[in-house]
Amino acid sequence: MGRTYLGEFEEIVLLTVGILYEDAYAVAITKEITKQSARPVNVSAVHKSLYRLEKKGMLKSRLSDPESKRGGKRKRLFTITPYGKTALDESMDLRTKMRNQIPDLAFKWDIG
Amino acid sequence: MKTDVNIPKIPHAFFKWYCKPERYEKIHGDLEEFFYDRVESSGLTKARLFYLWNIIRCFQSYAWKIPESQNSTIIMFKNYYKTSIRSLMKNPFSSFINVFGLAASIGICVFTYCFTQYIFSVDQFHENKYEVYLTTFFADRDGAQQQNGMTPRPLGSMLREDFTNIQKVCRVDDRNVVVKYEDKVFHEAVRCVDPEFLEMLTFPLKWGIKSALSNPNSIILSEDMSVKYFGNDNPVGKNLLVKFDAKRGKTFVISGVASALPTAHAISFDFLINYSNLETTDENFDPNDWSAFVKATLIQVEDPANLELIEQAMEKYRLLQNEVQHDWAISSFAFERLESLYRNSSDIRNGISLRGFESNVKGIWMISIIALILLLLACFNYINIAIVSAAKRLKEIGLRKVIGANRRMIVTQFLAENMLITFFATILGLLFGGVVVIPWFERLWTLNLEFTLLDVNLWLFLAITLFFTGIVSGLYPAFYISRFHVVGILKGSLKFGKKNRLTKVLLGFQLILACLIISSAVMFTQNTGYVAKRSWGYNQDDALYARLSDPSGFELLSDAMSQNPDVLKISGSGQHLGNGSVKTIVTMPDRAYEVDQLAVDPNYFQTMGIQLTEGRAFRENFESDKRTVIVNLQFVENLALSNPIGQLIKIDSINYEIVGVAKDFHAHSFENKILPTLFTVVDEEEYSYLSMQVRSGTNQSVYEDLRANWIALFPEIPFQGGYQEDVWGGYFKEIGLHGKVWRGIASVAILLAILGLYGLVTLNVSGRFKEFSIRQVLGAEWRNIATSIARNYIVLFTVSLSVGIPISYLTVDFLFDFAYHYHIPMNFLGVSVSAGLLITILLVTIIAQVGKVSKTSPVEGLKVE
Repeated sequence: MGRTYLGEFEEIVLLTVGILYEDAYAVAITKEITKQSARPVNVSAVHKSLYRLEKKGMLKSRLSDPESKRGGKRKRLFTITPYGKTALDESMDLRTKMRNQIPDLAFKWDIG
Repeated sequence: MKTDVNIPKIPHAFFKWYCKPERYEKIHGDLEEFFYDRVESSGLTKARLFYLWNIIRCFQSYAWKIPESQNSTIIMFKNYYKTSIRSLMKNPFSSFINVFGLAASIGICVFTYCFTQYIFSVDQFHENKYEVYLTTFFADRDGAQQQNGMTPRPLGSMLREDFTNIQKVCRVDDRNVVVKYEDKVFHEAVRCVDPEFLEMLTFPLKWGIKSALSNPNSIILSEDMSVKYFGNDNPVGKNLLVKFDAKRGKTFVISGVASALPTAHAISFDFLINYSNLETTDENFDPNDWSAFVKATLIQVEDPANLELIEQAMEKYRLLQNEVQHDWAISSFAFERLESLYRNSSDIRNGISLRGFESNVKGIWMISIIALILLLLACFNYINIAIVSAAKRLKEIGLRKVIGANRRMIVTQFLAENMLITFFATILGLLFGGVVVIPWFERLWTLNLEFTLLDVNLWLFLAITLFFTGIVSGLYPAFYISRFHVVGILKGSLKFGKKNRLTKVLLGFQLILACLIISSAVMFTQNTGYVAKRSWGYNQDDALYARLSDPSGFELLSDAMSQNPDVLKISGSGQHLGNGSVKTIVTMPDRAYEVDQLAVDPNYFQTMGIQLTEGRAFRENFESDKRTVIVNLQFVENLALSNPIGQLIKIDSINYEIVGVAKDFHAHSFENKILPTLFTVVDEEEYSYLSMQVRSGTNQSVYEDLRANWIALFPEIPFQGGYQEDVWGGYFKEIGLHGKVWRGIASVAILLAILGLYGLVTLNVSGRFKEFSIRQVLGAEWRNIATSIARNYIVLFTVSLSVGIPISYLTVDFLFDFAYHYHIPMNFLGVSVSAGLLITILLVTIIAQVGKVSKTSPVEGLKVE
C-alpha cells in the first residue's frame, strides 16, 4: 500500500494512544480526548477507531490483568506500531509542508 | 462497590447477544467502568441511561457477532439478495414501474381492508352483541316478503310477561321534540326507552348513573348533546325542558352523560328518557294498540338456542296483530342478532341501525373488485416487464446453471427477488394507503375509518397480500426464465421476449381493464352533471316551505306571508314533497298495494307545480272531495288501471274515488324509485307544512321574510324549513363524490396502463436497438421505424379495444342500474374517451421511443463491446 490513509478522528485516537503510552485503553483514551479537545466523544466511536487502526496495523494490543472496578474484566491496552508512527509522521509532515506553502499574503486581510 | 449498583439487565443481555464473544470482555469492561464512574458523578438513573445509550451506540459492525456456522441456503439467499439489488439498480426505470405500480394498487388494497374492517366493526363494541336481538317481522309488500324492523306497540310488554327465557326486553321509540335550556332551543329527537336499554347495549356513561333511566323524570344525554348545550361543563343535576308539541312539555333532570361513542356505530342516541313518558305526555296514548308501532323492540336471551322456541311461540302475536291490521298482514316474526344487524341493515326496512347512506356489503364488494382489478393490472405490468427484461439477465442464469444450479434453484431465486420487490411495494403501498387514499376518502365522506398500524389483522392482511402478489406476479416469469437451456443461452442463439404470446395477452387484458375503469370514470362524472339538471317533475326552484309546530300556526303564518307581494300561492299540507310521507295500503280485489300518501289542500298542486295529466285537482271547497284521491302515473301503472278516472279504491275499508292523475314527480332524491303515490284532502287540523310558490328569482328575499315572520310569531320554536331545492340534503354531494372516487380510481388505472405500456415499449425498443440501427444505416427514416414499432401493437390494440369497448359499455350500464334508479341514458362518450386516451398513450410512448432511437447515432447501436 503506497498511501496510508488516516481519518481525522483516527489520527486523534492514534495521537492519544501515544500520549497515554502504557495505559492506553478505550476509557482512558475517551477521557483524554474529551479533556484535550473539549469535544464530547462516545466510547463507541473510540472502539471503532481502535479496532480499525489495529486492523490496519498501526496499533497493536495486549491484555491487562482483571480489575475490580471493571467488574473483574480485563482491558485491552494499545500501543503504536512503527507503521503507525510512519503514518502519523507522514500525515503531520504533509500538513506542515502544505501549511508552509501558504504565502504570507494569503493571511493579509485588508481591513475596511 | 455498593451492592445495589448493578448493570441494567436488559441492555446487558442485548449487548451480550450481539457482541462478538472475543471482544465482549474488553468492550463491556470499558462500558462498566464508565457506568460506575457515572454512578458516582451523576447518580444511578443518569448512569443507567448513559449505559443504555452506549449499548445502542456500540451496536456496530466492529462489535457484531458473525454467525458461526453458515448455512448454505443462507449464503445463497445472501447472493440472491445482492444480485437482486444490483439488477434493480441497473434498470432503475423498470424497477420504478414495478414497485410504484404495485405500491399504488396495494395502497388501494390497504384502503379496502380498512373500509371492510370499519364496516364489520360497526356496533361490535356492545358486550352483549351475541345475546341481544332485534325483533323484526316479515310482511308481504307488493308481492315480495319484506323484513321490517318496527314492531307492534304492545309486543314488548307481552314478550316480557309471557316468556321466562327472555331475560330482558327493551322498547325503543323516537319522538321529535324541542329541547330548551336557557336561551338554547333546538329541534331534537329523543329516544324513549325502557331502563334496560343501557344494560343490554354498551354505552358507558361519562357522568351520572345508568340506573337513573328508570326514573321517568330523568334524561340522559349523549356527549355531543352535552357539549352542544353545556359546553365542557358537567350538566348532571341541571334541568332541561323538553316540549313534545306546542302544548305539552316536561322538565327533566339530567342524570347522566354518555361517553363518546366509537366512530363505528349505527345505533346511538341524542337524548334518552324513560319509555313511560310516551304515555304521560299523550293522553290519547294506548299502550295496547296493535295497529301502532314502536321504532324497535330489543330482547336479550341467555341462550341463543332458545330463540327457535321463542320464534315458534310468536305465532299467537301474529294472529293478534293480523286481527287488527288485516290489510297489512304479518307473515312471521324473526329475530336479528345485534352482532350482524348492521351488515343486514339495508334489507331491513325501518331498522334501528339504518344509516343515511347504504355503505355496506354491496359497497365492500364493489371496492374489493376494483382493488383486485388494480392489483392484477400491476401484477401484469410486473410479469410483462420481468419476461422482457429477463433477456438482460440470461448470461447470469446461464452461468448459474453451469455452476450447478438446478431449475428449482433458479425459480427460487426469481421468486425471492420478486418477494423483495413486492416487499418494498407493500411498505410503500401501506404508506400510500395510510397517507393518501384513506385520508382522501375520509375527507370525501367525512368519516373516520380509525386507521391504525397497531392492528394485528392489518399486518396479517398485508402479509397475505404480499404473498399473493408475490406469487401471482412472480411465478410465471420464474418458470419462464428458468426454462432455457444453458447451451442456448451461452451461445446467444436464444430468441425471445419480442414474441411472447403471454406478454401480449396480459397487455391486452390490461388494456381491457383500463378501458373499463376509464369509461366508468367518464360516465359517472357525466352522470353528476346529468342529475343536477334532471327535472324533479315539479317546480322545486321557486318553492319554499316551513314545518309547522302546530296546525293552528298555519293561519298566522299564512296571513303574514301573504303580505309579501312575491308570494304567489300558499298552501297547507299534512305531508310535504321530499320531507317524509306516510305509507298506506290500498286494497284492490286482487291484492294490497303499498303506496305513499300525501294529504294536501287544493292549492298544493299549483304551489308545487305538479301537473295533472287527466281529471281535476281538488275543489276549492273541498268538503265534497273528502272521499276522492288524486294519484300519480306510477300508481296507475302499478295497479294496472286502464281507466283511472272514476275508479274506486279501498283504503282502510273506505272507498275513495280517483278524480285526477298527476304526472310522476320525484318526491325523494333520484336515489329512490318513484313510488306509487296518492293525494288525499287534508284536514285543517292536520296541517304540518306550509308551502309557498314565489316569483322566480325572489327565493332569497322571501326566505328571509319567512324567517323573520316566524321569529316574530313563534319566538319559542326554532324554525324548520327552507328552500325546496334543498330538501334532498346531501344527495347531489353524494353523487358528485361517486364521480370523484371513480376519477381517483381511474387515475391509478391510467397511471398503471401508462407505466405498463411505456415499460414494455421501452424494453422492446431497447431489445431491437441493433435492428433499428441497421435500418437507420440503410436509410430508414423515423417514420419507418415508428411504423415497425407500432406494427407490434396495432393488432393487439385493435383486438383489445374491440373486446374492451363492448365489455366496458355493458359493465357501465350494469353498474348504473346497480347503483342508481335514475341515471344518464347510456352513451358512447365513456368508451370513446377511454379508447382515445389509450391510443394517445400508445402513440406518445412510441413517438418518445422513436425520438430516442433517431437521436442516437447508429454507431452506438452497432458497436460491440
